[in-house]
Order: sequence, then structure tokens, then C-alpha cells
Amino acid sequence: MGAAAEPAGSAEAAELIAAAAGGDLDAFERLYRHYSPRVYGLCLRLTGQREAAEDCTQESFVAAWRALRSFEQRSLFSTWLHRIAVHTVLARRRGLRIEYEVPEPVSGLPEVADPGSAGPPLDLERAIAGLPEGARHVLVLVGIYGFSHAEAAATLGVAEGTCKAQLHRARGLLAAVLGLEES
Amino acid sequence: MKDHLPQSLDEQLASLARDIPPPRNLWPGISRSLREHPRRVRPLALAAAAGIVGACVASALTWAVLHGRPESPAAQSAARAPTFDEPRNPRYMAARDDLELNFRERLALLDPATRARIEASLAVIRRAHEDIRKALASDPASPVLEQLWDSTWHDELDLYDHVVRATQPTMTRT
Repeated sequence: MGAAAEPAGSAEAAELIAAAAGGDLDAFERLYRHYSPRVYGLCLRLTGQREAAEDCTQESFVAAWRALRSFEQRSLFSTWLHRIAVHTVLARRRGLRIEYEVPEPVSGLPEVADPGSAGPPLDLERAIAGLPEGARHVLVLVGIYGFSHAEAAATLGVAEGTCKAQLHRARGLLAAVLGLEES
Repeated sequence: MKDHLPQSLDEQLASLARDIPPPRNLWPGISRSLREHPRRVRPLALAAAAGIVGACVASALTWAVLHGRPESPAAQSAARAPTFDEPRNPRYMAARDDLELNFRERLALLDPATRARIEASLAVIRRAHEDIRKALASDPASPVLEQLWDSTWHDELDLYDHVVRATQPTMTRT
């Protein structure tokens, strides 16, 4: 999965994680500073709403703090944290019945800095936000954040075949909206 | 729009920034939540205490068996008091192993039918524990699973404790 680099190497990350697991809030804040942009980005694209993404980011880090002692470091901390973020988004949607499928413009999404990229990326972000929920979730996880289909399927609680079908659907819808040939 | 989008869809997706800084500092809210609702900390000290308790209980039980006296109320209380969920902690594991050893010794004194029922109960608890462990691996943020995880450890220790206490008269008579 496309994970944020661990802070200053795995040794320092492991120290911070161990300290935070032992109750060191300062260590956990350092982990937050490092990982929050990736978690927020993930939440924002999954929810399509800035406020919901902020709430989910906060809830994800609170959940991570509480579950940190169960983290066994068999996977990257970022992988574990992103999974918590996805679950937080899904749980929030189920609990609050937020309708994410309204294709409203997304605020807070950055332009791509690369001047060589010809297209206005905000159009792409808006198109992604306008995708049906299931297709958007898979596209965000697999297409942007580098989850494998197996990881995305397990995290979303769907079959791997469903995951692949949703990605195909998402790509088709995006290509149609953006006037692109599917690659 | 098409004129502005010569890149393929995959290229455009790959070009999207994965990191998006939150528009405001979310840490104060997180920190406040963590302080207002602190997690249940089971520090190493508790595991160490559990080890001591386990050793004391084992010693008291051995002494009681050898001398034909019931274990002290303090030891009985100590056997029930500790609850912990640090199964990977070596001290905890040692303490738990001591308790289980005593449990096994007492269990051997029971009739086969009773023993089979208790073994079946223990197997159910351990299967539940393993199922919850697997579920927690995929959903580590679930408070329900965390509560169930705690509960199954307590159930196992309670079962040990019940058997040890229930067999006490038998032990003291022999």
C-alpha cells in the first residue's frame, strides 16, 4: 500500500510508537504531525466533505491511541493507521447516515504542484467526489493510495471481485466525465 | 476540458497529492479527547504485580495442599483481583502459566464428566479469544472488540479461579 514514509526512519518511528503506546502524549503528537496529512487526505477523498474529513481524522487518531497497545508492528504503522481511518469513515457513515453521493464541489483539495501536468486537477477531484460511494471508495484506496485489491476489499468488507468491478466502474465514470480515453 | 487533459486517467490519478494537510490544527481536539477519556492503561507494573500475585497464589496453594489447610483469604482475594490483557508480556505469561498449572492440578482431581465440561468451556473461551484476536487485527479501532477481548481473558482467569476455589475442600480433605 502507498504508505507515508515512517518519520526519520523505522527506528525513530518504532521508538515513537513504543513511547506513545506507553502513554507518552508528546510522542503521539509527533506521530500525528507526521501522519495527519495522509490520513486527512484519505478521509477527505473518502467522504468528499471537509468537515466530515476533519472529524474522521480526529476520530482516527483517538482510535489509534486507544488501540496502540495492540499494534504488533508486523505491518507499517501507516498501513495500520490508514486502515483505522477507513474504518472510521465507514463507521461514521453508517452511524450518522451521511449522504456522500451528492456531487458537490470539494473544498480544501490542493492543486497538483507539477506545472507539467496539463489538466486542472480540481476537476478530477470534483469528479472523484461525485462518484457513487462504492466506486469512489475503491478508486481512492486502490487508484490513489495504492492499496492492493485484496487490502481494499478486506478493509471495505467487500469481495475482491466487487472491488475490481467498482474500480472499473469508477474509471469508466471518471473517463466519461473528464472526456478521457480509459487507459 | 479535454484540451486541458492530455494525460491518461492513470497518470492524472498518480499525480494527485496523497498528503493534504488539514486546514486547521486538529491536535487540540484530539488531545482534549484523549485527556477527557483516557485509555485504560495496564502498565508493566500491573503485569509485574500479576507475576508476584501469581507466584504468591501458587505458593499459597502448594502450601495449602501440603499442609492440609485452606489458602488464606488474602491469597483467595489476590487470585481474583488481577485482570489484565497483556498476553505477550513475559511476566504476565509466567503468572498466567502458574495459575493454569494450579488449575490443571485441581482439574485432575475432578470426576471425568465434570472435567470434560470444564475443558469444553475452556475451549470455547479460547476459540472466542482467537476469533476476537483475528477480528481485532482487521478492525483494531473497534471498542466492542476491545471489550470482548478483555472479557474473554477475564473469563479464562475466572474459570481457573472457580475451579481452584471449588476444589479447595477436596484438596484439604486429602
